[in-house]
Amino acid sequence: MASLSEEVLLVVKKVRQRKQDGTLYLMAERIAWGPEGKDRFTVSHLYADIRCQKISPDGKAKIQLQLVLHTGESTTFHFSNESSALKDRDAAKELLQQLLPKFKKKANKELEEKNRMLQEDPVLFQLYKDLVVSQVISADEFWANRLGDINNTDPAPYNNKQEVGISGAFLADIRPQTDGCNGLRYNLTADIIESIFRTYPAVKQKYSENVPHNLTEKEFWTRFFQSHYFHRDRINTGTQDIFSECAKQDEKGLKSMVVQGVKNPLVDLLSLEDKTLDEGYGVSSGPPSTSNLNRSVKESSNAAIIKRFNHHSAMVLAAGSRKGETPTDQASETSSTDGNSRDSDFFQPPVRLQEAIEYEDLQRKNRPKTVALNLKKSDRYAHGPVPLLSQHYTTSQDIINSVNHIRHEMVNYKPNLTQVLSSTAATSAIAALSPGGVLMVAGAQQAINQMVPTEVQGELKHLYAAAGELLRHFWSCFPVNTPFLEEKLTGHLEEMLQTAYSKFHIWQTRRMMRKT
Amino acid sequence: MASEDEINLLVIVVDVNPIWWGQQAQREPEFTLSKCLDAVMVMGNAHMAMTRTNKLAVIASHCQDSHFLYPSKSWRGGDSGAEDASSSGDGKYELLSIANNLIAEEIRNVMSKSEGNSTDTLLAGSLAKALCCILSIKTVYIGRDTKSRLLVIKAAEDCALQYMNFMNVIFAAQKQNILIDACVLDSDSGLLQQACDITGGLYLKIPQKLALAQYLLWVFLPDSEQRSQLVLPPPAHVDYRAACFCHRNLIEVGYVCSVCLSIFCNFSPICTTCETAFKIQLPQMVKPKKKKLKQST
Repeated sequence: MASLSEEVLLVVKKVRQRKQDGTLYLMAERIAWGPEGKDRFTVSHLYADIRCQKISPDGKAKIQLQLVLHTGESTTFHFSNESSALKDRDAAKELLQQLLPKFKKKANKELEEKNRMLQEDPVLFQLYKDLVVSQVISADEFWANRLGDINNTDPAPYNNKQEVGISGAFLADIRPQTDGCNGLRYNLTADIIESIFRTYPAVKQKYSENVPHNLTEKEFWTRFFQSHYFHRDRINTGTQDIFSECAKQDEKGLKSMVVQGVKNPLVDLLSLEDKTLDEGYGVSSGPPSTSNLNRSVKESSNAAIIKRFNHHSAMVLAAGSRKGETPTDQASETSSTDGNSRDSDFFQPPVRLQEAIEYEDLQRKNRPKTVALNLKKSDRYAHGPVPLLSQHYTTSQDIINSVNHIRHEMVNYKPNLTQVLSSTAATSAIAALSPGGVLMVAGAQQAINQMVPTEVQGELKHLYAAAGELLRHFWSCFPVNTPFLEEKLTGHLEEMLQTAYSKFHIWQTRRMMRKT
Repeated sequence: MASEDEINLLVIVVDVNPIWWGQQAQREPEFTLSKCLDAVMVMGNAHMAMTRTNKLAVIASHCQDSHFLYPSKSWRGGDSGAEDASSSGDGKYELLSIANNLIAEEIRNVMSKSEGNSTDTLLAGSLAKALCCILSIKTVYIGRDTKSRLLVIKAAEDCALQYMNFMNVIFAAQKQNILIDACVLDSDSGLLQQACDITGGLYLKIPQKLALAQYLLWVFLPDSEQRSQLVLPPPAHVDYRAACFCHRNLIEVGYVCSVCLSIFCNFSPICTTCETAFKIQLPQMVKPKKKKLKQST
């Protein structure tokens, strides 16, 4: 039979396909059918290619299962075992139902993206209809520079999910409830467990070491909560506890953190110290060391709590910035967690100082060097579209005559407002200004967009957009660097433009015929 | 309807080129400058009579200067006005009679002077003065709405030398939302057509000079709001073609230098205005293959 490396999930005998008896095999990634007696598969489909499955209705005599592929083809299997046909068919159907959804996602992602783009943008949809559906451009070319890199593994930017950080209070949120009889119940959810593992990689290490070989999960967590590691006063009494090692690790880590210190010179923590002169209002008094011992005990317990608190906070912050790296080595883990947050501080001071001193808009702008404009005949610009030479000439004698005449006339000018307009002149002027008159002829023209009906305008707009898209394909082929582009230009595009032109011609003639 | 407080200023610029009017008086004695000024006065009176808040200004555009006919500097309002009003004696609204008298007096003064050699009307200058007048009214009545428009009554031809100034005036008017209307008596003026098109005013070349008053009252008296309700002559088609820098021909398709933006009708490898050299790769010439002559034995 076919490659044995594939895991066979189900074998159904006596399945007919295209009137031939055979056997149906459901594998991990594909479904295949081979005729009886032969040792190869004639029909094989990957689950990724299958769009859906259909079964024949229950009442029918023939018990069939049909697979519909994405390409539209379909394959039908007829279960012909007299006794168990229905059972076989249902078993196959259920298995397919479980398997198909797993493979569906990969294939459909691209289609989904395309559909989404088409639905969101009606202009794109119209363009698609005009060009691809009417076979002017192939679908591949249409989507060529629109999809970007959907095939890359990087998801689209808006699909990026933000990393969820760790709540600082996650341990405190596990509020223990009294059990009624002197016990405590801790409710651990998967989130809390994850937070614990992320913050304290030492615990995670212990978990992976011990579960499930030595302890069950429940036992592990019970021990965890019982251990002094968890409780407040962490006094390492040396009990045989799997967590005492963790405590020692934490001590080491904390010490290294303290040693590194804060490397940001702009933050001066030491100046925040209390500077008291002394107790008692500046007069030093009191015996120096009577309560030293007491103090040391109290101090140590306070110190323990404070140390734990600081350590916890530092681990939470470090876990957030680690972003899920796999812990390789315990020692390097703790040091790297400290180093992560330090590195950024390390190089900041010079940048921060720079930012504090300089203001962007007060700097001199770096303008590119320009060349001055050198005009030789700038009076050309002053002259408008009026011919240089005036159209008629007047002799100087004419000028003198005219000026004298007018002066003579206006010397005795008196307005005579009752004789301004004669009725004949007025009526002829009114006639000229009324609709249909001499001056109103041009107004009879309508704007062209009122004459053409809206549907024709719409169709023309679609044609125009489609033509624009074709032109874009044309221009994207330049510069012609590769023989592929050359071939595309001369052969393929030529055809596309011809098809487009003939489509337009058809539309035009149809429109014209409709008019007449 | 305009609000009660809105001030509507109409500035009329009359072209009183003495050479053209003198020739006109000899061509057509029925219609002379006096008649033209009468019609302008009727228009001005009508405008002022429409609403109390309407204001008028009249500028005469001469060859040597532009002169305010109304309101004039010699008018002090008040006292001298009262005297004039009593002298007219026909019961006319004082404002109108004062205006008419002033205009008549001023035009007499203007036309009696004649110095200088130029023959072109200083139209661009007059328009600029009109715009200044409008601006001064705006600053005086700063709290109230003011709407202004300009009416140009043109007689002589365009002067090509005033092109730049003219265009500046037009764009300044457009910025200030001032309409420029034009009533042209004789020959079409491309500059005024552009002015009317750009600022949104009306351009009209009247077929009958005698009926000037009728045209003015019918077409140019309503202001821009009222014009949308009326059926008025449609806007004329304006020829916006550019003129090439070399021949001054109006061209539709030409070559533009990318450095100095000067327009040429023919391609030349060096722009004559800014002296930039342009290199354009011309398509390579394919040399025709020489045919070998068969030698017959």
